[in-house]
Amino acid sequence: MLSLILALSCGMAGGLIVAVIPQTRSRLRNLVVLIFTTAGMIFTWRVALRVFAGENVAIAGRIGELPWSINPDPLGAVFGLIAATLWLFAAVYSFGYMAEKHEQRTYYAFLLISFSVTLGVAFSGNLLVLYLFYELLTFVTYPLVIHERSSEAVKAGAKYILYNLGGASVILVAIIITYGRAGSLDFAGGPILANSLQNGLDWLLLLFIIGFGVKAAIMPLHRWLPAAMAAPTPVSALLHAVAVVYAGVYGVLRVVYSVFGHELVGRLGFGTILPFVAACTIIVGVIIAAKQDVLKRRLAYQTISHLSYILLGAFTLQPWGLAGAMLHMISYSTLKTTLFFCAGIIAEQSGATKISKMGGVGWLLPKTMAVFSIAAIGMIGILPLNTFWGKYYLMKGSVAAGMWPLALVLIVSGIINAICFIPVVVNAFRGERTRINGERGSRVTLMLAPAILLVIVALLMGLFPGFVWPGVQAVVNWFF
Amino acid sequence: MLLVMLPVIPLAGALCVLFKRGRGINIPLLISSVVLILGICGLSSVFGGTPIDHGIPLPGPYAPAFHADSLSVIFVLLAAFLWVIVSIYTPEYMKHEGGSRRFEFYALLILSAVLGIFLAGNLITLLFFFELMTITSFFWVTHRWNQEAIKAGYYYLFFNIIGGLLLGFGIVLLDAATGVLPDIGTGLVTPVNATAFGWSIMLFVVGFGIKAGMVPLHLWLPHAHSAAPAPGSALLSGLLIKVGAYGLIRAGEFAGWGRELGSGVAWLGPALAIIGVITMLVGVAAALLQGDAKRLLAYHSVSQMGYIILGLGIGLYLGSDGSLGLVGAIYHLVNHALFKTALFLGVGVIYIHTKETNLYKLGGLWRRFPVTAFLMLLAVLGITGVPGLNGYASKTLLHHAVSLAAETGTIWSVWAERLFLVVGVGTAASFAKLYYLIFLRKPAKIGNAPNTSSRLEAAPKAAMSVKLRAGMSAARPLVAMSVLAAAMVGIGLVPGLFPSAIASPAVQALGMENAAASLVGLSFWNAGDLTGIFITLILGILICWAGLRSGIFHWHPPKWLTLEGLGMLVGRAVSVLLRMGEKFYRTVIKAVRNVLKNSGARTYLACRKFDQSRSGEIFGLKLVGVSIDAGILFILLALLIAGHVMLNPGFR
Repeated sequence: MLSLILALSCGMAGGLIVAVIPQTRSRLRNLVVLIFTTAGMIFTWRVALRVFAGENVAIAGRIGELPWSINPDPLGAVFGLIAATLWLFAAVYSFGYMAEKHEQRTYYAFLLISFSVTLGVAFSGNLLVLYLFYELLTFVTYPLVIHERSSEAVKAGAKYILYNLGGASVILVAIIITYGRAGSLDFAGGPILANSLQNGLDWLLLLFIIGFGVKAAIMPLHRWLPAAMAAPTPVSALLHAVAVVYAGVYGVLRVVYSVFGHELVGRLGFGTILPFVAACTIIVGVIIAAKQDVLKRRLAYQTISHLSYILLGAFTLQPWGLAGAMLHMISYSTLKTTLFFCAGIIAEQSGATKISKMGGVGWLLPKTMAVFSIAAIGMIGILPLNTFWGKYYLMKGSVAAGMWPLALVLIVSGIINAICFIPVVVNAFRGERTRINGERGSRVTLMLAPAILLVIVALLMGLFPGFVWPGVQAVVNWFF
Repeated sequence: MLLVMLPVIPLAGALCVLFKRGRGINIPLLISSVVLILGICGLSSVFGGTPIDHGIPLPGPYAPAFHADSLSVIFVLLAAFLWVIVSIYTPEYMKHEGGSRRFEFYALLILSAVLGIFLAGNLITLLFFFELMTITSFFWVTHRWNQEAIKAGYYYLFFNIIGGLLLGFGIVLLDAATGVLPDIGTGLVTPVNATAFGWSIMLFVVGFGIKAGMVPLHLWLPHAHSAAPAPGSALLSGLLIKVGAYGLIRAGEFAGWGRELGSGVAWLGPALAIIGVITMLVGVAAALLQGDAKRLLAYHSVSQMGYIILGLGIGLYLGSDGSLGLVGAIYHLVNHALFKTALFLGVGVIYIHTKETNLYKLGGLWRRFPVTAFLMLLAVLGITGVPGLNGYASKTLLHHAVSLAAETGTIWSVWAERLFLVVGVGTAASFAKLYYLIFLRKPAKIGNAPNTSSRLEAAPKAAMSVKLRAGMSAARPLVAMSVLAAAMVGIGLVPGLFPSAIASPAVQALGMENAAASLVGLSFWNAGDLTGIFITLILGILICWAGLRSGIFHWHPPKWLTLEGLGMLVGRAVSVLLRMGEKFYRTVIKAVRNVLKNSGARTYLACRKFDQSRSGEIFGLKLVGVSIDAGILFILLALLIAGHVMLNPGFR
């Protein structure tokens, strides 16, 4: 319980401290950031391991009528672990990336505060707390999105706020209806609506999915995500490939498994419609990605596609599908963050943000491109990388649910992912071979080291999936 | 333990290559020799009938497992042997090509992957090494890193990635069909769900078929095998495509060798046989039209893989009588590995000295390269199936199997027998062409400096001179080829040894109980087969002569006739469709946006007008000094109050 409170407050406290450190004391600031993210990560690990072991870690109370509770279950613990671990990597990357950028104080303060808020989303024990943190996440990440202060960034920020607040307001309506129906919002005692009358619940589910679908970037609601790529690269890597979008995905998983329960969703007849929606997003997202010329936008559209992998697994309403969703959630986050890290290094060291301008970048940044290519292979979803396991269990879940075309969708998406990235890698090693080494200096080292480490983690997870299996199993056993 | 060590040793070797300084020892040669010796010493016990298993118990969904039975040991030893040969050859060749360290590094990684595939004990382990092989051998294909090599690399990578993904799906379906994923080497699977089982076998056939160069999935093969450097092509053609055949044999094991094929997979035998025949025909027809030596050989790899697939198909189709087909396929696979490697190495020797692989620019080279010419002649005779060399033995076995199948009287098997002979003639013709154009005809103008010529041939004679070491190294390619030639002649002279001593135990372990019995009465030296091959050769040479005279070998088929062209046309059509779809989508979006914009603007204007109008008029009521919207609001309010009062009488 103490570690739960500490895990949640580390980011917030660190953020406040960073906010009072003068703009010029960058070394001190980096040290504070490092200490607080590391501490947050350690406490999150402690909480998560205890949750996986089956202990009940919770704090609860009431505000007037309304009960609130912070009560991590295995699903929340997995999400929290992913976020907390990657936050440390992103913080280290930021030390390199932001070294010569303006307004570092604001940046790091909000980066740390959003760490706390993300963990709040992950560990929330009822729908109300989830909603509050979810809404808060939009606000505390807004300064990060508009960090560049360019007109493009401000426009993106407006879009970001508009889409996410719109989604959140829909969720609020849905939560009120749910409370009216069930009289409780707690996740702990099984699906909230399991014993409620069925009529009208399909509309409620739709409201929820639309609401959380904004952050999860389900296809017609995705437009904020590519626009938000105007943010600094570590923010894109962490928030718009992992934390914020996973908050949406996490919300959808919560709705399907904790609010309605997989049996009810199946009874409502959503067992085929929802996977179909996810499949459309997968294919269309990755096709649009293949047409983008700006690397970060290509990555963003691909994120949209891959988020729907996770949703697809959850929507099969099968234990194997859920296991696949969890595995993909874990493995995809490591590789996508790596890809963004590499994109950032390329943009900083060579100035190239467009793929058509990246000829010969590989000779300038060989290690970066090597890491990039391994991560790109991971996006296809073949062994030795960990994403294979996600894909394998997603296919298994689809087949077990009797929907084998979904497995074909995953294969086709894998092929288009290959078309997305392999030419990028090959072209990077064409053209003039320079003798300049673009990877010298501590700044690049700080950016490159997290990327290399993440790829090694991904490879190890691909070889030994047993490594993350206890967490996945805990989630599946929790809901089935 | 040995089973784990075999794939790990080359990995360690690859690390050594990475950190080695200067030109020291030939690490690939050392490593592959170690693997070969360890393989022979440690694994030959499996021919006694007890397979070796080694599992690594790991928690979680996946525990690596290794399994060696006689089938996998045949492949492992073949791989190690070929790697030794090619490692002898490589240093000299790569001196001319450049990038030798890179090549050696990937050679060791690929060796590791290949050994892993053959020793894998479960399907996931197999898939793991399969993908590893795909990724690492991409660097062989693109070794030259020019336009052509990169194009070939794309073809190679995309086809094989698709193959790997389909294999993954096949594994998922097999899992769904059986409940528990069967391990490799456990033999026949009794599926719970026959349809899913059938589909999973189908996916295995497609996935491994891409690797094996099965028509119409062979399109990557000629590009990849001709773009790689010669030792790379030799192993790609000699061994790596055999991985596909190995996979097909294992897939057949799940379906059941030597049994009536169950429901769901009954199509497997005939389908494989028919695809095999088509592959043979397409390969040989395309080979006849090639002007480039390496592309010709690559198309022949397609064609010869057709023989192997045909053998497998007949083996499955005939059930317990089909052991000849399976034995023939395995035999032919080994033989093809030997002579195709020798042929590619020979073309490589020519390439080192002439920088040319275009047949029409070569000619009369037997004077300059007498030893190479002789060794190439052996390989050419081997692949065309001349008695006394190894190709004859396996082709005879396969021919017996096809005749056996033709006795069942189904249309496809009768045609298979006829086309078998046609393909034999085609093979003879195209190799007559190859050999004639390179070695025999009058020398054409060759654009290379004469001073570098025949250093290779002269070198052994100058062995006592100062250039002793240089001479030794220059003779290495010929040593490598001679070993292969010796193996070919050895097999050819004792054709019955391999099937009875090695192949039939393997086949029996797979489930064909009467494999040894079916080989007992078989004679390789009967008059029928000998005259058959004689006629084939004569016809082949005649066709070659006619073709060269008439110039038909220069014919370029129109685009719609070649598979590649067809694929491109289809691709273009799809892309046009996609573009049209996108255009349509954009117009729709634009229209919707326009409508929204217009209606928005109109509403705004209306509101403004509304707002600006002071003292308006509604229903004849003149409201002086009150804007119209306020008026409407008043009226609405009044109506609401009235309605409420009327609907709730109690309120009054």
